Amino acid sequence: MLPLRRRIFFKQSTKWVITALATFFSIRSGYADRITEHFASAQASDIMTRLFADRSISYNDRINLSLPKIAENGAVVPITISSELDAIDRVYILIERNPTPLAAVFELSSEAMVYLTARIKMAESCNVVVIVRQGERLFKAQQWVNVVMGGCGTG
Amino acid sequence: MSSIKIRSQRLPNYTEIRLLISHPMENGRNRDPISGELIPAHFIEELTIKLNDTTVITVDMAGSMAKNPFFTFRLKSVANGDKITASWIDNRQQIDSVDYIVAG
Repeated sequence: MLPLRRRIFFKQSTKWVITALATFFSIRSGYADRITEHFASAQASDIMTRLFADRSISYNDRINLSLPKIAENGAVVPITISSELDAIDRVYILIERNPTPLAAVFELSSEAMVYLTARIKMAESCNVVVIVRQGERLFKAQQWVNVVMGGCGTG
Repeated sequence: MSSIKIRSQRLPNYTEIRLLISHPMENGRNRDPISGELIPAHFIEELTIKLNDTTVITVDMAGSMAKNPFFTFRLKSVANGDKITASWIDNRQQIDSVDYIVAG
């Protein structure tokens, strides 16, 4: 008798959990979708595909990146992004070998200049890729950063 | 006491806004050094900067941003007495917001 009851209990409780989760995600569906999909842990290349599908992204030397060549502490790596390009409405920061590669997406109105500084975490030495969106066009710049102390507490 | 500190500097062609937020930005993969337990994820998901109630910058982020996030932005047409509002929401639905009046 007991095993049967227990099975019923498990079945029932699973249903409740699913219902609760479904309710939670439907309330903030648009938001949750965006966060979970883009800020998920995955390979950087997968995240790039999710963000930009198979659109071509060309290198552009008018995006200026300022990052340390050697970062002593991967938990705090300063980054400065600036560009003279017009009409940039979005800036993406991807850290290639972080478990969650997408660090941030900046949406800029015409009031904001393309000059941003932030502090990112880096789990290990890798490329930091910055992609800017100019209407329909995408450009990128990247820089390799050697991380001396990464691993735990970072990424 | 707000978690957000704002400083600004007006320059001839733009105004520089610096923003420091107190937040752990835990990505959920770190362990407590004493208990060995995983520290639950706790990070800001969205930061919004408004100039006189118009959104000028939105930042979506996750646990790959450093603890106590620090940002610098440059805005083109900020005048004396303009209001800058910074607000964030994190993955636990906690929120904070601060108004800052540009002077000097």
